[in-house]
Amino acid sequence: MKLSLFKAFKNLFKTPQTIQYPTVAIEKIKGDRGLIKYGEESCIYCLKCEKACPPGAILFVPTDTPSNNPKNKKGLRYMYNPFLCIYCGECVRACPKPDEALWQSEEKPQIGVKEDKVNDDWFAVEGRKNTK
Amino acid sequence: MIDRIETTLEKMQSDIERFYDKKVWHFLTLNGVQLDENSTEIQWIFSKYGQKDAITLFYLTATRGDIIPSVTDILPSAIISQREIVDMFGIEIEGSPKGLYLDEDSLTSPLSRCRI
Amino acid sequence: MGKKTINIPLGSQHISLLEPVKFRFECENEKIIGVDSDVGFVHRGIELACTSKFKYDVIPYVVARICGLCAITHSLTYTTAVESLLEGEVTLRAKYLRVLLVELDRIHSHMLCLSHTAENAGFEAMFMQIMGDREYVMDIQQALTGNRVQFDYIHIGGVNRDLTTDISKQIKTNLQIIRAKVDEYIEEFSNNWSLSLKYKNIGQITLDQAYEYNAIGPLARAAGLKTDVRSESDYLPYEQLGYEMQLASDGDIHSRNMIRLKEILNSIEMCENIVDGLPEGDILTKLKGKPNGESIVRLEAPRGELMYYIKGDGKAMLNRVRIKTPTFSSIPAFMEIFKGSNYADAPAILASFDPCLSCTAK
Repeated sequence: MKLSLFKAFKNLFKTPQTIQYPTVAIEKIKGDRGLIKYGEESCIYCLKCEKACPPGAILFVPTDTPSNNPKNKKGLRYMYNPFLCIYCGECVRACPKPDEALWQSEEKPQIGVKEDKVNDDWFAVEGRKNTK
Repeated sequence: MIDRIETTLEKMQSDIERFYDKKVWHFLTLNGVQLDENSTEIQWIFSKYGQKDAITLFYLTATRGDIIPSVTDILPSAIISQREIVDMFGIEIEGSPKGLYLDEDSLTSPLSRCRI
Repeated sequence: MGKKTINIPLGSQHISLLEPVKFRFECENEKIIGVDSDVGFVHRGIELACTSKFKYDVIPYVVARICGLCAITHSLTYTTAVESLLEGEVTLRAKYLRVLLVELDRIHSHMLCLSHTAENAGFEAMFMQIMGDREYVMDIQQALTGNRVQFDYIHIGGVNRDLTTDISKQIKTNLQIIRAKVDEYIEEFSNNWSLSLKYKNIGQITLDQAYEYNAIGPLARAAGLKTDVRSESDYLPYEQLGYEMQLASDGDIHSRNMIRLKEILNSIEMCENIVDGLPEGDILTKLKGKPNGESIVRLEAPRGELMYYIKGDGKAMLNRVRIKTPTFSSIPAFMEIFKGSNYADAPAILASFDPCLSCTAK
C-alpha cells in the first residue's frame, strides 16, 4: 500500500505517455504495409493477382485503348482500388515476376472524401467487367 | 480421430444419458449440416478430459417437419446451442424459442438451401 | 407470501460495459434471483459467407476479422483444419513462429482484461498504468507483422514473414521490461486492502458447478478443473517449449486475476525459449489438392477453447464451416453465477469473465 502511494507521487513529475497525433508525426518503422505499385512493361497478363486477392481489389477490364505490350492479347487494363485493399500482399506472392511487375511500397494511402465518389466509380468498373 | 455413432429420434435421449458422465466427457456443442433439400444431419459433439484428440460424435438425419427432443436436463449447457440451430436451419426443438440472432423482419433459416 | 420483485436491465448501453450484451435481472431488495440474456446484436452472417462467396484459400483472411482480440487464433485454427485434409507437411520453423505470435496475443489480451477489471473496482490509476505498459507488446507485434491488431500472418502451409536478428533483440528487451512490471502487479493485486474488499469471495463458482455447466478457460482453472487444450492436442509443440498449467481452488474474482497474471509469466518464458531455439528451414511449403472429408480442430484462445468443424467435397467452395467460440459456451455458466449476488457487484463480475461479443454473435 505504501509502495503504490510512493509510485503515484513519483508519477506526478513524469511526462505523459500519449503522443499528440496528428500534430506530432509518428515514427515510421521498417517493413510497413503500404500501397501496391504496378509496372506495366513487365506484366505478362496471366491474371493470377486477380484470382488471389481476397476482397477483389484488382480487376482487369476490357478497354478501347489498350497498351502496346505484345502479351496483352485481349485488350485489358489494370484497375486497383486502394479503399477496398487490405494490404495483405497476396497478389505480390502470387505474381511470377514479383519485383518488376507488382510490388508493395511503404507509402500510406490517401483519405477518401465524399466528393471523390469512390463507390460509384468502382461499381461502374465492375459492371464493365461483368457484361463482356 | 473422430468416432461417429449413429442414433435415431426415439433412441437419442436414452443413448446420450447412458453415455454421458460429467467427470469424464466434456460437451462441446450441437451442429447441423444440410444434406439435400429435405434432410439435415444434426450432431452432438463430445471430447474426453485429459486425453489427446479423443472426439465422439452422435448423429441423426432429420427430415422437414420433425420435432427433435431436448437434452437440457442431461446437459444444462446445451440451451444456447439449441436456440442457434432453430434460428439457422428452421428445425423445431422442444423448449427453444426463435430469435437469438435474427430479428422478426429478416430472412428465415439462412443456412438451409431452401428458405422455409 | 411472495415478496415483490423488480426488473432492472444491465442494458446494451451502459457506462461500465465494453461489449453490447443485454441482461435483465429480477431483483428482490438488491439480491439477484433471476437472469435473462440477449446476445446477437452484431450478427453478420459469416458462416454463410464462408460457403457461398469466398473460396477455401482466402478464408483465413475473412475469419480473422470476426474479432479483434482473438484474430490470430481464429485464423490458425481454420488453417490447421484445412491442412489436415490436404497433402504435405508444415516445417518446424513455421510452427514455432506460429506459437510465438499466439503467445504474444495471449499476453496483451490478458493485460486488457486485468485493466478493465481494475477500472470497474474503482482503481483508475491502475487501469492507465497497465494500458501504458501494454504498448511494449504492441511494438513487438508491429515490428514482426506490420500491424498492431489484424496481423494477416498465417497462410495455408506456413507463415508470411520471417524473424530477423533486429526483431529478436527487440523482443528480448521488451519482454524483460514487462516481466518486472508483472511482478509488481502481482504484489499490488494480492496486498491492496481496498481491492480485496471488491474481489475476495465474490462471484464464486464451485468445482461441482464447473463440471455441470462445462466451464472452459481461466474460469474453469480458477475453480480447480484441470482442462486446457494446450495439453490435450498435438498440432503445436507446447511440451518442448516449457508449458505449465496454472490452477487455483477458490473460484472467485481474485483467483481468476491471479491465474491470468501467472499465465502471462508462463507465456513470457515460452516466447524467450522460442527466440533462443528457433530451428532452420523454410517458412512456407506448397500443399496440393482440394479439401475432401470432414475434420474437427480445437485450440486455446485467451478466453477458452475454440473449435472449428469443416466439411468439403473436393471443390473449391466448402460445404459447411461451423465455428464455436469460447464466450458462446460460457453463457450458461454466467447466468448461473449471477444468482445470489448483489446487484452492485454485477459489473465487476462481468468484467472478470472477459466476454467477447463479436465472437459470440458471428
